[in-house]
Amino acid sequence: MALTSKLKEAWIGIAAGKVTLPYPLAPHPPAAGFRGRPIFDASKCIGCGGCASNCPAREILIFDPCQELRVIHYLGRRCTSCGRCAEVCPEKAITMSEAFELATNSIADLEQRLTLFMGSCQRCGRCFPAPTPLDALKLTGYRIDDVEAGRWVFRSRPSAPGETTHDVDIEL
Amino acid sequence: MGGELLSVALSVLSAVANVALVLLVAPLLQGVQRRITARVQSRQGPPLLQPYYDLLKLLGKEDLESGEAPAVQRFAAYLSLATVLATACLVPLGFPAPLSAVGDAILLLYLLLLSGVCTLLAGAAAGSTYSWVGVSREMMSMMTLEPILAVALGVGALHARSFRLGEVLDGSPWSAAVPLSGLVMLVVMLLGFQAYAGRVPFDAAEAETEIMDGPLSEYSGQKLALFRLAQMCKLVVYAGLFVALFVPWGADLPFPLAFLAFWAKALVLVVAVALIAATHARYRVDQAIRRYSVLLAFSLVAIVLAAFGR
Amino acid sequence: MLKTLCRKMMGKSCWVYHANSGGCNGCDIEVLNVLTPYYDAERFGVKLVASPRHADAMLCQGPALHSTAQALRRAYEAMPAPKVVIAVGSCATGGGPWFDGYAVMGGVDKVVPVDYWVPGCPPRPEAILHGVAVALGILGKAVAPRAPLTQPSFPFPRYQPCPEQGGQTVPPGAPSTPNPK
Repeated sequence: MALTSKLKEAWIGIAAGKVTLPYPLAPHPPAAGFRGRPIFDASKCIGCGGCASNCPAREILIFDPCQELRVIHYLGRRCTSCGRCAEVCPEKAITMSEAFELATNSIADLEQRLTLFMGSCQRCGRCFPAPTPLDALKLTGYRIDDVEAGRWVFRSRPSAPGETTHDVDIEL
Repeated sequence: MGGELLSVALSVLSAVANVALVLLVAPLLQGVQRRITARVQSRQGPPLLQPYYDLLKLLGKEDLESGEAPAVQRFAAYLSLATVLATACLVPLGFPAPLSAVGDAILLLYLLLLSGVCTLLAGAAAGSTYSWVGVSREMMSMMTLEPILAVALGVGALHARSFRLGEVLDGSPWSAAVPLSGLVMLVVMLLGFQAYAGRVPFDAAEAETEIMDGPLSEYSGQKLALFRLAQMCKLVVYAGLFVALFVPWGADLPFPLAFLAFWAKALVLVVAVALIAATHARYRVDQAIRRYSVLLAFSLVAIVLAAFGR
Repeated sequence: MLKTLCRKMMGKSCWVYHANSGGCNGCDIEVLNVLTPYYDAERFGVKLVASPRHADAMLCQGPALHSTAQALRRAYEAMPAPKVVIAVGSCATGGGPWFDGYAVMGGVDKVVPVDYWVPGCPPRPEAILHGVAVALGILGKAVAPRAPLTQPSFPFPRYQPCPEQGGQTVPPGAPSTPNPK
């Protein structure tokens, strides 16, 4: 009757013992192939900007302070660990680690910032300019990232000097 | 004169000891219940002293006076704990109740009713939609549950031929020659005990997930601690009442043994409540009331039997 | 003395209110997973309560939308002090991939002050449990700021063309050859 079935139900639960994992007092590694935080390797990065173009959450910002320097700034806030940056990186400089314990009280703990030397012409010392405007757009997309303020500035470069751009500042 | 003063002082002291015992032991029993629920769910569960931590934490929280009538809310919180502790002084908890000479079974019944009314007051004073829903459900449940409790005490009183607590709460339903009414009331109270304890499957009035804790949804901080403590103590008081009425054997033993016997029986009841709560789903309020009505019908049969001496 | 005891008890018994202000429910399911027997948050005294007035910690999921921002703020203000806000998931941390949508204000920290962030999409139940443990003070943080990673330090000696090797100096301003790649 109902009573015996409920007693049996209670007994099944008790006989199963304690299925609680001892985490967080003991580590519990995730399954193979788990995508956690991406780790950027500055020694392999060539500064192509493919990761920044591909990131669906626009988490990777790129800024060129000067001709030879490129700053790639990964803010960890909105990263969904999709892995598209690692997939598109031609030098395999981004690896998806298995780190998932990312709780923090300061969002700056999640940032990674790379300062890269962009090779310039060995004869004249200047960077190669993109031959066509489309190639210029392809480098970092339509935007100029404001790395210090952490802003993704959706503004295309003026095609000719003296022309204005359509400024759409989207704060992160 | 000196002897009278001494006896008054002694009864006050024993009342205070009774109240302190109930206050200290009730959270431990809830801790045992939560542990058992956790084991039935195959998990580790909180430490046994967890309800003490919860109550102490609630005492340290800010008290936001929200709701429509904060003065009535305050009054309801104090009154709920006060009525439950007053009832604790009237129920024998392993030793004779200290204030049983002061009142009789009718007072006990009214005090238990008053503690139910406190929840209604609390919900009505809060004034939010969810608390009104909780109040209406609690009212409906009380209308069928309190008569059953009255019949249980009434059957005992009819058999003991008096309303005095010392005689009613001493296994009085069993004092007839053929205790038919006692048997019927035992079964009725066993089946209804879960409803008096206010646990799943009969806790539609304070349904946590449905109506945001019902009448208590606007309480925070110290007043919530008072209500939660009152709920824990209510379980102890009802267990004491049940044991005193229906399972009194062992109360005649010398002091330590009678005390242990009582608390062992109460623990069995508490564990049974936890097991039933862990394996059932909550009933809708109309389903619950249908069940209470069946119990009420049987209890009316019992009181008729008791009136005829059975 | 009682006050310090009560403050200490905050770490042992944390009642959690779960507020989803417009997320996809992925993080909701992970939070509810934390309360199941496998990950059992109740052994730390963490209980899910239905009313924000009973809660100590608010677990926020989903980005703050224009439509739900007021409700989220009111739920935060309904909680009695002392309280902790934990933003769970990448949507609550900064708006997620939807941060530039027309309905999205941004992360939850645009509406309520956030004390702890637990990024992920959705964060594993272990990650949420770790976040709750960090918030309660049972564990320390597992992330720390990485030092900025730089390639060779500056100033980098610029290559000087050597006339003996047949190199020619090209005056600045002259058009350079396009990148053969």
